[in-house]
Parts: sequence; C-alpha cells; structure tokens
Amino acid sequence: MPSAPKLSPVIQNLIDKGLLDRLPPTFSTFFFEQFQDWNLLFPAERNYQERMFTLLDRSQPAAVESLFAPVREVERRMGVDEKTWPRRHFGLEQVDFLNRNPHFAEWRQAISRVFAKVDPLLDAEVTRKGKPSLIIVTAPSELSADPSRMWLRLSRYGKRIQVDVPDGADYLNLAVTGGTRKSILEMYSKEPYDSWMISADNPWDGVRNAIRLKYDDLKDYRSRMMDEVRRMLESGEVRTPRELNERLKRLKIRASEGDLASDEILSEFLRAVLLAGNGTLLINNTFVEWATIQAIRRARPSMMIISFGIRNKLKPFSSVLIYSDQEATNPIPSQMDALGTYVDLEIFYQYIWQEFQKYAQYRNNTAFLFLADGMEELFCIAPPDFPLLTAKAPVKLTEVFGHAREWLNI
Amino acid sequence: MFSFSKRRFVQLAGLSIANRLLPPWMLSAAEPVDKPGRKVIIVTFGGGVRNSETFAPEGLRNIPRLAELRPKGYFYKTCANQGVLSHFNATGSIVTGNWQRVDDFGSEPPASTTIFEYYRKQTGVSPMDAWVIATNKSFAQMGWGTNRDWGASYGANVVLPKQLLIEAVGEAVKQKSGGGVASRENVLKHLESVLNEGYEGVGWTIFKAAKDLDRNVRESLARALVEYINGPEAPTSGDELTFFIAREIMREFAPRLILVNFWDMDVAHWGSYSLYLQAITRTDRITGMLWDEVQSNPKYRDNTAVLILPELGRDGDQNASNGFLNHRTGDPSCRNLWLLALGAGVSAGETDRLVSHVDVAATAAELLGVQTGQIAGKALKEIL
Repeated sequence: MPSAPKLSPVIQNLIDKGLLDRLPPTFSTFFFEQFQDWNLLFPAERNYQERMFTLLDRSQPAAVESLFAPVREVERRMGVDEKTWPRRHFGLEQVDFLNRNPHFAEWRQAISRVFAKVDPLLDAEVTRKGKPSLIIVTAPSELSADPSRMWLRLSRYGKRIQVDVPDGADYLNLAVTGGTRKSILEMYSKEPYDSWMISADNPWDGVRNAIRLKYDDLKDYRSRMMDEVRRMLESGEVRTPRELNERLKRLKIRASEGDLASDEILSEFLRAVLLAGNGTLLINNTFVEWATIQAIRRARPSMMIISFGIRNKLKPFSSVLIYSDQEATNPIPSQMDALGTYVDLEIFYQYIWQEFQKYAQYRNNTAFLFLADGMEELFCIAPPDFPLLTAKAPVKLTEVFGHAREWLNI
Repeated sequence: MFSFSKRRFVQLAGLSIANRLLPPWMLSAAEPVDKPGRKVIIVTFGGGVRNSETFAPEGLRNIPRLAELRPKGYFYKTCANQGVLSHFNATGSIVTGNWQRVDDFGSEPPASTTIFEYYRKQTGVSPMDAWVIATNKSFAQMGWGTNRDWGASYGANVVLPKQLLIEAVGEAVKQKSGGGVASRENVLKHLESVLNEGYEGVGWTIFKAAKDLDRNVRESLARALVEYINGPEAPTSGDELTFFIAREIMREFAPRLILVNFWDMDVAHWGSYSLYLQAITRTDRITGMLWDEVQSNPKYRDNTAVLILPELGRDGDQNASNGFLNHRTGDPSCRNLWLLALGAGVSAGETDRLVSHVDVAATAAELLGVQTGQIAGKALKEIL
C-alpha cells in the first residue's frame, strides 16, 4: 500500500475537520485526487487550494450550502451515489461517468458558477500582492511574413512599435540580454518556478537560473515515450485505460535525458505535458504552446520567454498514415513549413495571451512583447505606464531590454 | 487526383470479383438487381469542425465546394449535437436517432437500433445495400446496435480503409526485402503505434478495432492496398482513401444506404491550425467529388438524397481550454453545427429552425420508406 501523501498542515487540518466530506462529491473528490500528488504540485497550486478551502471553511455554513446547492441538484439528477462515486475517489471511471451523463453540460455550468463566485474573492487577495510581470514571445526569422500580417488576432489590444534593426547583430539575443552576458530571465529569477523559458529550439544560449524547457533537447525522452507506449499496446500488457494511465505515470524523464529529472515537480509537469495528447510529442510549436498554457495555469510565473520555431512539413509517406517522428522514419530530408507555421502561430499568440488574462495576477500589470527575429516592428500589449509604449520610435533593441528591465525593477 | 488508373486498385483487390472475395452469406444475397427507390448517403464532414471555419462568413474560403453547393440544396443553419462530444457517440446518434452514451472509443456498439437495421429488416434488401465506410478506425461496430431483435443479421457492412491500410503496410514490409525495407519497417512501427493510440491522446484508444469484414475480404483488400500504396498515386490522407473505397463500392454494389465518415480534420488535436484548415479544405474537395459521383453515376443520379453534416464541432477560441485543439467544453462552438441536404427531392432553401443530429436517422427512414421504433429524432420535414 502506498503511504498516505504528506499534505500541508492547512489542508490536513481541513480534511480532519470534515470540510471536504461535506462538499458535493464531484467537487471534493477531484481535489482529493490532487492531494495524492501534493508533493508534485507547484507552490502556486498548493497556495490556491489552501486559500480556497480556508475561505470555504471560514464562510458561513449556510452560504457554503447555498453556493453548492446547484451542484448537489445536478449530482442528484446525474445519479451520483456511493456506487457511481466512491468516497474520496476520482478516477477514470468518474471522468467517464461525467462525460457520458446526459446532465454533463449542466454539471459543468454548476461547477463553473462555483468558481465564478469563489475566484473573485481569492483574486482580490492576489491583486493586493501583485507585482509586474513580463512575457516575451518570439518568432523565428524564417517566418518571413510582412510585419503588417503579424499578430493580427491581437492587434486591437496593443501597439506596434518600430524597431531599429541592428546590422549583423543577433536580434533576439540583443532584445533579451541588451548586449550583456545575462538574459533578463536570469537577472530576474529569484523565486523557484517563477521564471521560465519554453522554446522549440535554441534561439540563444546561456539561460541559467530559470526553468528551461526546450523541445529539441527532449528528443531522447520523447522517443522513449513513443517506443514505450507502442510496446505496451502491442504486447497487450495493458488492457484498460486505467492500467495504461498507471503505467504512463512511471515514464519519468531520466537524468541522461535532461536536467529536469532532478526536480520531481518539473519532471512530472513535463511528463504530463508530453502525454496529454495534442501533438506535444510530435510538433515543436504545439509543445511550446501547451507547455506554456500549463505553466501559466499551474505555476503562474512572473517572467516568461516563449520561443517558437519553424514546424517541418509532413513527409509524403508519413501523411498517409497520420504523423510520427518523421526524422527517424523517413530518410527524405525535412523541409520547413514557413507558411503553415505562420498560420499556427497567429492563433497560438491569441491563446497564450488569453490564458494570461484568465488570472488576476496578470491583469493590469503584465507587459507582453511579441518579437519576430529580424523584423522592423514589434508588438506590445502592456499597461499604459510600461515605458516602451511612450518611447520614441524606432527603438533600439537595447532600449527594449532596458525598458523591460526597468519594468521588472531589476 | 483520382484517375482512371485507380481502377487497378479494384482489379487488384478483387473487389469486383465477388466469387473470390465475398463470404457465402454475402454472396447469396448479392444479386446485381437495381430496384427502383430512394437512396440515402449520409456524410459526416468529420473529425470535428467549427462553424467558424466552415459556413461562417470567415470560414467560407475553406469550403469552396460546399459553399458552391449550398444554394442547390436545403441548408439547416443550426444542427445541434446535444449528446456526448465524442466521435463514436456523435456518429452513433446520427445513425440511430437516439443520443448515444456508450464507450467513446468504439469498444461497444450503439445502444439503439441503427437505420441500417430498420431499413434492411423491413425492406428485405440485400446485405450489400447498407455500408459504413469510415476513416475513424474505432467505427468497426457502427453497423448495428445491441438490440437482439435486429443486430448483425440486418446491419451494415463496415469498411475501415485506414485500418486496412495499416495491414497493407504490414504486408508491404513482409513482402519487400532489400533496399528501402528498413525504413518502411520503421515507418510502420512508429505510425502504427500512433494510429493505435488515436488522435485523442497518446494511449487512450487501446481497444484494437474489431474487423467485422469477412477475413477473406479483408485480406484481399489488404493485398490490393499493398500494390496501391506502392503505386505512384497513393492517397495523401485517410479520408482520400475512404472516398476512393466509397466510390468503388458505389460503382460495384450501388448500395441504397451509405454512411461515409471522414475524419482527417481531427488532426487539429495535434495542435496545428494550418493542418486543420488543410484537412477541412481536403474534406470539402472530396465531399464535392462524392457529390459529383452521385450526379454522374446513373444508379444514384435522380434518386439519391445526400445529407452532409459535421458530427461535432471544436472548442471556441474564447475562454476554452485550448480552442480548436479539443472538443470537450460543450460550448456552442462544439455543439452548434449545420446540415446540408442535397439531391433528389430536395428543394433549395434554408432555415434557422433548430434541428439536431438525431433527426438524421428519422429523416433517412422517411426517405427510404421505413418505420423506426421510438426514437428521439424527428424527420426534417423541409426535405421530405
């Protein structure tokens, strides 16, 4: 039997008091499941859960009952009982139960309404403690789109700024280092899990002190994952989604496959990102986008550099049978799909920006810089007091760096 | 793209040589009699596509053929999927007229009687008159439901071209030796794995698709596909292969009731918007080619209704977990789709009236002149 997970004293106390058992089971069991992996949660996740359950605990019981009444009513209609929903257990059977239930849409709405009432109260605390954030999103030079065709889905939220493009200098490197040896990421990094760089390939070297997730660097781990999954399925070792899920949990990154292996939170984060489906194993920019969305959602970093690359075209034979690691399976040289990448990135810029907007800590105090390597324009979404917005154009990249540094009080 | 030389596929497959291919029960009933009467083809414009990339003004550029056909048919602006937002359940709801809530990955048949069973049992038509041709490999059990009074004896033949393609590649690897085999073997190993896992997420689709076609039929098709994929005009997608097989089945057997399931658009799960848009345009093109076949094939022209609809949408860009990549939130972008009816007896027009996926089976039953049991769907009166 696995030992009981070590929880924070706050959560353990609330469980012991019976708070969670008094809540609707479809709500509380989800969190019980999260508690099983408490040591694998980011500090921001732990903090959120502690604050949420503390808030529920200190609220009037009648108010809590009223808050959850719609959820209880939907649960009754769905047929949630001890048999369909074992106490404190949330597994694949429960996910399946929800998805197939005719009242699933109502349930989702009822749960959303709970968070819609709870989150503003929790957000108010976050906003009081808010600090400036900086997000840099880069596109590769191979994109070769006209500046007027860039960042179109976000254009109404920000400002295009003319850039004085340096001759012969490394454009992105200059923007994030200002010509110094250290990137702004390294200069800023203070708290664990607060500074991230997620990239497709290697736009520049030398980012230390911050979390680095690079698709290209994970090639060995990605290949092993694909091989292992295929072997499990072919051998018949796993027969149910539950068995498979359990086996996949063991596919952690090895020390030989990347630096993250030494950090159990990041190791688990990476495993989940790569096995979440959605092409993160196979397409570089999908990995960058999904890892970014998950990092925002879970770790809530204050400083991020998100760097997209160019996606390769699908090779002819691969596309007959869907997609795979084309480099390993087909000797035909890969070709870049610059146009396809451009289309992909335009919607990813929107999704990433939207994800930040969901959380109070980023609203009204986050500067977004969208850079395209070598381009004579950048795009900025920021509060009015972000200094770059009033800079005299065209700006030099060292100035961009300086303004960003000033914004972060470095 | 598909030229006459593709007939070679059929010759190789032996699909046209019934006594070599067909199992005895099929052979005895496969009389080449062209009885008069209505025919129905249901096309799932499938894999999950949003209104915003199809019939919304900004989406029309992705579907030039359907946009051109719309004025010729009857267009339902909102056809709602009010059921489970998975491929099998959504399509199962279309063919049964009841919202299906069975296993998402095809390990169970639909829980209700299908239109194929109603049609075959009540009219006594040949087993060759009802077919399901599906790109989605989990659709092996889409041909009939679990009701004991109906079932396999009255179900549709199910062909999964992509599944056959996997077998074919396996055959190719076995048969070839020397140069190039190693890399093909590699391709097979990796791609077969991805196929078995499905688009939905690595490792979740662990049920091997059942293969309900007679073994000899399947093996012969696989042998043919070996030749086919080694030839100069191999299809570039699962849906193109599905179209090709569907067209050959129409030409050889002229079935009266067909479900053609396209699925390439589900590539959206891989997170490339450009590949998703390309898949939509490809499906638009081959759906147009299917319509062209109906119009040019004398066994279908003037007596066939074609019902085209997406089985589900995808999450909206706003406030969704990851927008077009998934179809799980149940927001309007996931549920509110469209239906285009074309062909014999269908007048041009359009309506804002809300219809739903379960109405398709009821409509097909009316068009084919058969009764269904108690089902949730109501026939679309505008096209009867």
